[in-house]
This record gives sequence, structure tokens and C-alpha cells, in this order.
Amino acid sequence: MKLLEAWRLSRQPYKEVVYRSIAEERGRMWWGGFGRGNYGTDQQNDLDLTKKALRIAKWDKLMVAIFNVLAAVIPFTAQFFGSPIIGLTSAISLSLAVTFGFTALYAIQTLSSFISTESSVLLATLPLKPEKFSLITIFSFVRSVDYMVVGSIVSQVFLVAFYTGSPFAVLLMFVVSIMNGILAVATALWFSGVFTKNLFRGGRSRGNTALRLLFILMWGSLLMGVSLLISLPYYVVPSVESFLINSSQLSTLILCLFHPFSAGITIANIGHPIASGFTTLISSISLIVYVVVSGFSGKWILKTVKQISHGTNIKLTRVTAKDFSIKTRKPLFGFVIKDLKISSRNPATAFFFALPVLETVIMSFLLANFEVLRASTLLVSTFMGGIFVLLMPLALLNSEGAGLEYTKSLPLGLNQIILSKTLISVLTYLPVPIVLFIMAMLKPLTSPLTLLIPIFILLAVASASVFEIQLFLIIVTKGKISALVHDLKKLVVGITTLLIPLVAYSITYLVSFSHIFAVLIMGAISTLELALAIYLIRQNKK
Amino acid sequence: MSASLIEVSQLTKQFGSVQALSGLTFRVLPGEIYGLLGPNGAGKTTTLKAIIGLIEPTSGTVKVEGFNPTINSIIVKSKIGYIAEKPILYDSLSSRDFLEFVASIRKIDQKTVNRIITQLGEAFDMSKYFDAPIATLSTGMKQKVALIASLIHQPPILLLDEPLSGLDAKTSRIIKDLLLLHIKNGGSVLFSTHIMEVAENICTRIGIIYQGKIIAEGTLEQLKIKTGNKRQSLEEVFLKLTNEETEISDKTRLLGEAFFKNETA
Repeated sequence: MKLLEAWRLSRQPYKEVVYRSIAEERGRMWWGGFGRGNYGTDQQNDLDLTKKALRIAKWDKLMVAIFNVLAAVIPFTAQFFGSPIIGLTSAISLSLAVTFGFTALYAIQTLSSFISTESSVLLATLPLKPEKFSLITIFSFVRSVDYMVVGSIVSQVFLVAFYTGSPFAVLLMFVVSIMNGILAVATALWFSGVFTKNLFRGGRSRGNTALRLLFILMWGSLLMGVSLLISLPYYVVPSVESFLINSSQLSTLILCLFHPFSAGITIANIGHPIASGFTTLISSISLIVYVVVSGFSGKWILKTVKQISHGTNIKLTRVTAKDFSIKTRKPLFGFVIKDLKISSRNPATAFFFALPVLETVIMSFLLANFEVLRASTLLVSTFMGGIFVLLMPLALLNSEGAGLEYTKSLPLGLNQIILSKTLISVLTYLPVPIVLFIMAMLKPLTSPLTLLIPIFILLAVASASVFEIQLFLIIVTKGKISALVHDLKKLVVGITTLLIPLVAYSITYLVSFSHIFAVLIMGAISTLELALAIYLIRQNKK
Repeated sequence: MSASLIEVSQLTKQFGSVQALSGLTFRVLPGEIYGLLGPNGAGKTTTLKAIIGLIEPTSGTVKVEGFNPTINSIIVKSKIGYIAEKPILYDSLSSRDFLEFVASIRKIDQKTVNRIITQLGEAFDMSKYFDAPIATLSTGMKQKVALIASLIHQPPILLLDEPLSGLDAKTSRIIKDLLLLHIKNGGSVLFSTHIMEVAENICTRIGIIYQGKIIAEGTLEQLKIKTGNKRQSLEEVFLKLTNEETEISDKTRLLGEAFFKNETA
């Protein structure tokens, strides 16, 4: 079977998985059935459902691709405004690092839908050789990242051509970009595999829970890498550059051995030799090794995909339960515990629990640079922390998945669901005020009252979560097709709720030049938002 | 006449252009096992979902112990133990986690629930699977977990959608005995099935549902009388009442021609 034929055949499994993961999963997640006013029109029009699912998948792919291309281009912006030579090494390296991070993160989110025993049922009944079976399966996954991968390859190759003008550098960049993608997918596959194996082991071991927590923190570090994007052109690129081209430093030699720095040094030195001959030699040798490793990684991916699709990679250990006792809780806490368990055990949502770590790091970085904690600094840093938390309610709603079908048959109202997810989101935001209080003890404040800002933002976070979930429920209870909604709309509502108290503070301060007055207005606005959220919750009861 | 636990009257449900239920009427009395028997697509699952309040009827009424599931959804759901046709549970939770969640939502006393779970867990040989993620369990094991979850609050009404599919003989037997015990204690069971044997063995009354309507209802004996032959099996009664006998012989003939033409030629 030729590659092109495998690519053509992979279209059908791709469509099937998109349908299953979006239409079937979210369609089954249709939230109708919570009592009066929450039924909607259950049209059961599967054709419309499929069409909309495919449109959503295309839109998601496009958004991710645009973001990925931007991420690949940002490290090169320092070059554009300055010398084309200074910074090229680090620009290539960081561009590759960022696209590696994005591809791996995206793959962790989507790979499990494409590569599973369930999704391979369609192909499993056809008379295909195992390696061709794997090739088609992996191509169906590649289809979900095609815009993203092509976008980053084209932008990286174009920028290298622009800055070096060397055909050899362009060719090498092309090879390295593909290699980068393969290594990212292999990493994601390995990551998901270890996570799933740990989960499937079962039992009640605290060691397993700790191991899962460790993986969540590793995802957190991946996210943090991505968040460094904002400071790439100004802070990271120059310091990495000085590390990379200074051969007298041991750190340079060590970095030469690692991807993507070996690629950055080798490619940048083709057009404009700037690093020492020894550094370039070591980097080139490392790069060759990585190309070979990526070849093996590609083979490993195909083999692993085959094993997963055939279910041969799963080793189950049955641990006999010593007793059948369970621990009952109050309904709300029972729901919270369930939410925490299902979302932390799902590779696609578990990394959201790394958000508190991410917020803490961002806050510490932002505040550490200032001598005095000004109100504006507090506003910006609390808002930054809040933005990440707004992803939490949506992740928790999506992690309900097909299990919601059962929950709908239990005697619980929508409010328990809203409160549970809001509570978790608020808890996720707690590190932000804590870090601020610690910082306030170490550094002077322009006004002691500004310490109330994070408290008011905490209220806004609670209101934003309620609004997001409420909007989600309004849309998804209309019908199965309406249930296939973009998360973007809900995020806009959440961000606006978070922004209003901040804007109120800023405007009041600009008009009155009084921190006390501005804080009071901010408090009043965030309390009003919370009152509106509580009103909506009460309306659900009626 | 005793008060019905479930009362369904002139129930209709329209899904776009598809008429799933059209004027369905029946009652389930205390202490009886009512079997809703019908072919695929007859409207059995839709009926059960309307009774527990998962879908809103287009018209008609449903009453569960006098409560309308659309208006008093929480009260109705607390009175019912429900098992869906496919045991769709939270895959990443273990059976223990899942039952903890269900028991917490249902506000069951810890001592009582532990006694029930221990008894059911031992009866269903769950010890090896109790702490394993539900995703790793077979369909039958998932069905057992769903069954335990539907029984832990000792509901007066059990609503079971094809409850014995995927279960081994031993478990099926235990469940049948359990259902009999349940009705002895004043509870009632409404279950859907297309397996004649099951309906024949354990149902107090049978309602034959066809194209969204109850076309015949009664005890097995009463249904046999309706077809005019007391010696018939339930399968024969069913096929006769649904007019599927002639259709079956036509289709068998066509299939025979399509698959075995070369061999017979």
C-alpha cells in the first residue's frame, strides 16, 4: 500500500473519530432531563450532528494552527527588528521548542480518541496487514493536526530561508521540523501510555495517585514553557543566544547535545558561522543522532499504535478488594470528589490541575520584578491568574463525558453540578491571593486596601464560573445539535465578568485618584456579580 | 383496584419526523413484574426514559407514585432504581468510587449502604473488580455495577432496560431471584426485553409494545387466549400479535435465495 493510498483511506476513520469524540460524546452529553424547563428539542438528527461536528473539528484545527504558527514565528521577531544574525540560533531553537510543546500538548488531548481499541473497530474488520492498519490509524490522527504541522513547518522553513538565504539550511530546517513533530507525537504517546497504564493498574494505592500527580505537574511545566512565549523576544532569546554561541561555557556544550538546540546551532551556522567549529561539530553530530532517533521513534509510534489498537499493550492487574465498604459524603462533596477524580484521571483534562502551579509561577515572576506592589501590578497579575482558572469549569463540564447519561438518572438538580464545578474553580484560583499576601509581606504596597483586590477577583472568579456553566447549560439543553458548542463563547462571558471589576477600579481611580474609593467600587461591582450568579442559581431551583 | 406505582396514559413522543411513541397506555401495580416486550425500535427505551424523566413526552401523562417526572423530577428519580440499556458509567472511576458517588447523591446512610453493597458485592463476585477502573471491566461486570448502584437506595420501583443482556447464567439467576424478592416486599419492577424466555419466566404481566403502542397486555395465559391457542409459546404469541410471522417467512426465503442459491442449484 502506498503512502498516498493510506492517506486517502485514513479520511474515513478520521471522520468517524471526529464524529464519535464530538458528536456522539457531546451529543450524549446533552444535558436535557434535569426536570422542568431543561428538556429542549431532542431532534436526533444524526446527519446535522455529524456535519456540525466536522465543522467544529475544522474550526478547532484552524484556531490551534494559527496559534501554533504565531508561536513558531514569535522567537524570530527579535531578528526582524535587529540584526538578522544575532539571535538566529536561539530563535530556531526556541521556535522548535515551542512547536514541540504545542504539538505534544495537543496530541495528549486528541491522541487517545484516535488511537484506541474502540476507534479501530472500523478498520479491524478489514483484511489489512498490521503495519498498514497502524499507518492508516496514525494518518487519521495526522489529519487532526495537519493544519498545525504544515503551518509550523512552512513558517519555520520560510523564516530560515528569509534569514539565511541558504538552500541547504532550508532543506535541513524542513527535515528538522518534521523530526520535531515526530518526536513531539512520540513523547505525547509515551506520556499518555504511562498515564493510562498507571490508571489501569487499579487498586487503592497511594503510590499510583502520587505518580499521577507527578505527571500532572509535568504537564504543568509544559504549560509553563508555553506561557514563557510572552517574554520570548525580549528576555529569553538574548539570554539563550549568549549561552548557545559562547563555546567557552560548559553549558553551551551541554546544550549542543540536546534537541532543539543542536538543530538551532547547526542550521544558523550554515548561513552565518558564528559559533566555534567545535560547538558546530558537536551540534551537527547530535542533530544526526536525533534524526536517526526520530526515524526509530516513527517506527515505535507505528508499533505502539498497532498494540493499542489491538489492545495488546494493556496489562491488567486485578487487586482483590479486602472489603466492599464505601464512604458516603454530603451530595455536593460527593459530586466534587467525583469531579476531581474523573478529571484528574483523564489525560486530556488532568493537566488543568497544574494551573495553580502555573499561576503561582507567573505571579511570582511578575511581582518579583517590582520594588513596590502597585495597584496596577496587582490588577494585571490577578487578572492573568484568573484567565487560566476560567478554563477549569469548561474542562470539568467536558470531562463529564458519557457518564453524564447515568448522572441524569440520579435525584440531583443542576445547581449541585454548578456549585461543584464552581467550588473547584475557586479552589484552583486560591494560590493567587495567597502568593499576593506573601509578596505583600515582603514588599511595600501603594495602599494597604489594594490587598482586597485579589479577594474581589476571587468573587468575580466564582461569578464567572457560574455564568460560564449556566451559559453552557442553557445552550446544551436546547437539543443535541445545540450541545455541540464552541467553548469560545463561554470564555468570552467569563473573561468579561473578570474584567468588569478591574475596569471599574481603573476608571474610578482615574476619575477620583483615590485607591479607597476605587477598591470600594470594585468590591461593590464584584459583589453585584456574585449576587447575580446566586440569583441565577436560585432561578434554577424554581 | 390497588393504586398504581406507575401510570402511563396516552403517551406520545416525536423525534423530528420519527414517531417513537403513539398513545402508549399501561399501569404497573405494586408487587408485580411488568415486562415490556417488543421488537427493536418499538419504543421500549423511550418509554422507560420518559418514566424516569430523562425525556419530556410530546403529549400524554406519566405518573410515578402520583408524581409527574417532568415536574417532580428529583422526587421521581429518588423512588426509582434505573438501569440503562447500555451500562454507560464513568470509565475512569473504580466501582467503589462510582458507588460512593451514587450513595452520596442519594444521601444514603453509610451503615445501610455498606451492608447492601457488601451483600451484593459478594453475591456478584465483585471483589476482584471492585477497585479496578470501570473502563477495564467487561460489559457484564459493568452491568453488575449498574445493578448494585440501582439497588443501594432500596427503591420501591425498579426500571430495568434489558437488564440481563451480557450477564452470565449465575448472575442472571441471582437477579431473577432478587426481582422476585423485591416484589415480595411490595416493590414493583418494570423491565423491557426482547428475550421471550426472560419475559415468560419472571413476568407477572406482559405488555406487548409495537410501533409505539401497547397492542396486547395481560398475563401469559391471557395473551395465549387472545391468540386462540393455549399451547403456543410466548414467541409464537408475540409474532402472531405483531403480525411478524408472514414477514419472517418471506424474509427467510429471500435470504435463502441470496446466500444459498449456488449450493442449491
